[in-house]
Amino acid sequence: MHLKGTHKFHASANDLWSKLMDTGTLARITPGVSKLEEIGKDQYKAIAEVKMGPVSGSFSGNLNVQDKQEPRSFVLNIKQNSKIGNVAADVKIELQPVSDNETELSFDGKANLSGLLARTGQRVMSGVANTLSKQFFRALEEELANPGS
Amino acid sequence: MTNYIGKAVRRVEDKRFITGKGRYTDDITLPGMAHAYIVRSPYAHARIISIDTSAAEAMEGVVKVYTGKDIAESGINGIPTGWQVNFKNGDTMKEPPHPLLVADKARYMGDAVAVVIAENREIARDAADMVEVEYEELPAVAGPKKATKDGAPLVHDDAPNNLCFDWELGNPKAEVDEALDRSHHITTLEFTNQRVVPNAIEPRSAIGHYESASDKYTLYTTSQNPHLTRLLMCAFVLGIPEHKVRVVAPDVGGGFGSKIFHYAEEALMIWCSQRLNRPVKWTADRSEAFMTDAHGRDHVTKAEMGFDKDGKITGLRVKTYANLGAYLSTFAPCVPTWLHGTLLQGLYTTPKINVDVTGVFTHTTPVDAYRGAGRPEATYLLERLMDTAALEMKMDPAELRMKNFIPPFDGVEQPGYQTQVALQYDSGNYHGVLERALEMAGYDDFRKEQEKARKDGKLLGVGFSTYIEACGIAPSAVVGALGARAGLYEVGQVRVQPTGTVSVYTGSHSHGQGHETTFAQVVADRLGIPMENVEIIHGDSEAVAFGMGTYGSRSLAVGGSAIMKSLDKIIEKGAKIAAHTLEASEEDLEFAEGKWTVKGTDKSVGFGDVALTAYVPHNYPEGLEPGMDFSSFYDPANFTYPFGAHIAIVEVDKDTGKVSLKRFIAVDDVGNVINPMIVDGQIHGGLAQGIGQALFEGAIYDENAQLTNGSYMDYTMPRADDLPSFELDRQVTPCPHNPLGVKGAGEAGTIGSTPAVVNAVMDALSPFGIKNLEMPLTPERVWRAMNS
Repeated sequence: MHLKGTHKFHASANDLWSKLMDTGTLARITPGVSKLEEIGKDQYKAIAEVKMGPVSGSFSGNLNVQDKQEPRSFVLNIKQNSKIGNVAADVKIELQPVSDNETELSFDGKANLSGLLARTGQRVMSGVANTLSKQFFRALEEELANPGS
Repeated sequence: MTNYIGKAVRRVEDKRFITGKGRYTDDITLPGMAHAYIVRSPYAHARIISIDTSAAEAMEGVVKVYTGKDIAESGINGIPTGWQVNFKNGDTMKEPPHPLLVADKARYMGDAVAVVIAENREIARDAADMVEVEYEELPAVAGPKKATKDGAPLVHDDAPNNLCFDWELGNPKAEVDEALDRSHHITTLEFTNQRVVPNAIEPRSAIGHYESASDKYTLYTTSQNPHLTRLLMCAFVLGIPEHKVRVVAPDVGGGFGSKIFHYAEEALMIWCSQRLNRPVKWTADRSEAFMTDAHGRDHVTKAEMGFDKDGKITGLRVKTYANLGAYLSTFAPCVPTWLHGTLLQGLYTTPKINVDVTGVFTHTTPVDAYRGAGRPEATYLLERLMDTAALEMKMDPAELRMKNFIPPFDGVEQPGYQTQVALQYDSGNYHGVLERALEMAGYDDFRKEQEKARKDGKLLGVGFSTYIEACGIAPSAVVGALGARAGLYEVGQVRVQPTGTVSVYTGSHSHGQGHETTFAQVVADRLGIPMENVEIIHGDSEAVAFGMGTYGSRSLAVGGSAIMKSLDKIIEKGAKIAAHTLEASEEDLEFAEGKWTVKGTDKSVGFGDVALTAYVPHNYPEGLEPGMDFSSFYDPANFTYPFGAHIAIVEVDKDTGKVSLKRFIAVDDVGNVINPMIVDGQIHGGLAQGIGQALFEGAIYDENAQLTNGSYMDYTMPRADDLPSFELDRQVTPCPHNPLGVKGAGEAGTIGSTPAVVNAVMDALSPFGIKNLEMPLTPERVWRAMNS
């Protein structure tokens, strides 16, 4: 499954970067995430309840932040397992300043699905992923406007 | 007396089916029965590092969890294959073990890793989620040609390049190469005959029931082939003596081939039941069915056909990579070889044919026979070549066929036709079916209509398919020489009850074919008794002496013939009793309309009276045994060869690429017909499946060999509104070598229809210069082709 999209934020690249690297914020605003725990440098353990189209499941696994080029780009390496199948993804996230307080975030990557996740409803899942990312960006925007609310 | 044969008698089994009173395996509940759920690998290829069953076993209601290690330690064998195909150099094919549960590695998504047994299915399912399996994911390969490349991930370490066998048939390749080199024109096609999922409406199910008091086992299973399942399971897997095992295949909701095979779950349920000393049931859910029912087709093929300048075929060269999946299913090696290569003569006088097939392991669900099994792949290849050649040579596709057809022969006055690829056709009149189909289609008018439509910007197309199939499987000595590890005869027992009613036991199994009706029509006619007095019993190894099951359009041709043999014995014995009763000599009697009559007199005795005399033998011929009960084995002299001509007319939407099937004409020659309504039903269902492959269906694996469309949200089945009202007709060329003159009708529709539809779409798209597209012809695929 190909993951790709962009979103423009009313924030500087530095502000956006620091929010994206803040575990507490991410745990609060990422759709479905119930627990996000730092287990090492740039390594996190995540637990998420996700309903993706026709299948819903409880995922747990690791997130690794790699190739950090502050404040421009990083690669998010995701490994999440569940009883309905597993997700392995590498997504490159880039922050491109548009003006002093505008930054465009773009992401591009690929997710490999296995098990029930792979064989059921995969066609609708990129749509679901799209929806989830939009929810995340909206929440992040609000977070930037009203930190900690 | 022909009261029933040839009549559209309503199906006697439908009363229970349409009132919801059928009794399927999953309907059976036994006292003390536990329920199994199987833990399956989410990866196509993974090493099993560890399995922790403790959390699952601690759950309330969980009886036991077994893993591959338990299976390995118990010393039983894996699932065998029933057919051997060797390498060209004589080496035996690779036959890697297929354990009931894997211990070391998972080799396809869905490979069974552990089984959870619990008090009910829901607990078993929940507990299966608690079995912690640690995998090391490994690279996987799904495509058969790709899998043979150096460096491709290996499915089995002892099968280099994933090769199971390589095989060839026909004339020496050098001769075919030469014939093609000398040809005026060569038509070449490269394509994939895509993998399809069988999708029987009833998912597979099995109940193992061990009774310690008698040390006997009963397996209830969704099988087309209960006796062979018993043989394979007892002798090859579990090592239990056959007389201790009863296999019952009750009502079965469709199979299309996928329920012929002996599956691991069957032996597993027996094994679990014996260990736990209680019945254990497993029923697949739909998702499991998509993953684990043996799939069909999946050939990657290059085919070249040569023609002289008049359009006569000069030679055919075929190279196919056949995907066998991760393990060898029961018939797997036979399907792309002896059921495919042997059909490449088609209906044509092709003088030189060479077919080369490489059987390949991949990290996918095992592939085996699916409605038509090998013959649809052969027909697709030939019939796509014919329409493409006609287009390339600017000839009419119908005319090109007529020019190349084998002339009519009845197999009696004229001998059978010896092909270049081993088979000898029994009887045929190929011009006849095509002429009739052309007439029904109004072909000449259609071409005018098509031309006019093109001017109006509408894309109409017509496609042909003239097919032949080898059915009535099969002469045992012949298939034995070809690598079959079993005989392929059939058993029919006729037991006349003292009151003259008749119980018929057949080794043929009915799972939608209507045996209980058709076979009863045959028996009632032959004995001159009402159909209501005949009961057909099948699907129980304890009731029926033996059997080879239902597949390959064999039930009536082979199973019906076995019953006919027993009926002859009944009538012969009846004549002895009647002669005694009538105080006449046997030679002076004739048997008709259910009674023996002394020729030229009105002295007669009825079937019922003779039956009663046989069981109450007070006044009885000296030396004759009492009773009327005969069993026969019928081993056919040859395959049967149904054939036909199919014509599809389609319209392609220029803006969306959607293909609408406007008309479908099918003229089939299946030999004599016992029940025309049932034959029509078989043709209808077959057409829907063949059209399904052309336009809608296809299993899609991603680069990690994950099945990406394993549900009805993702896998398109043909629906009623996708199909026109079929226009059917029949020609009758009786089979010369079986007593009923029947050839088989179960697969005809599927075999003939797929290329007709694809040819029609290619004809519609010919103004775009499109010659070949891969199936299924989805709107997206067609639209992209038109817009590139």
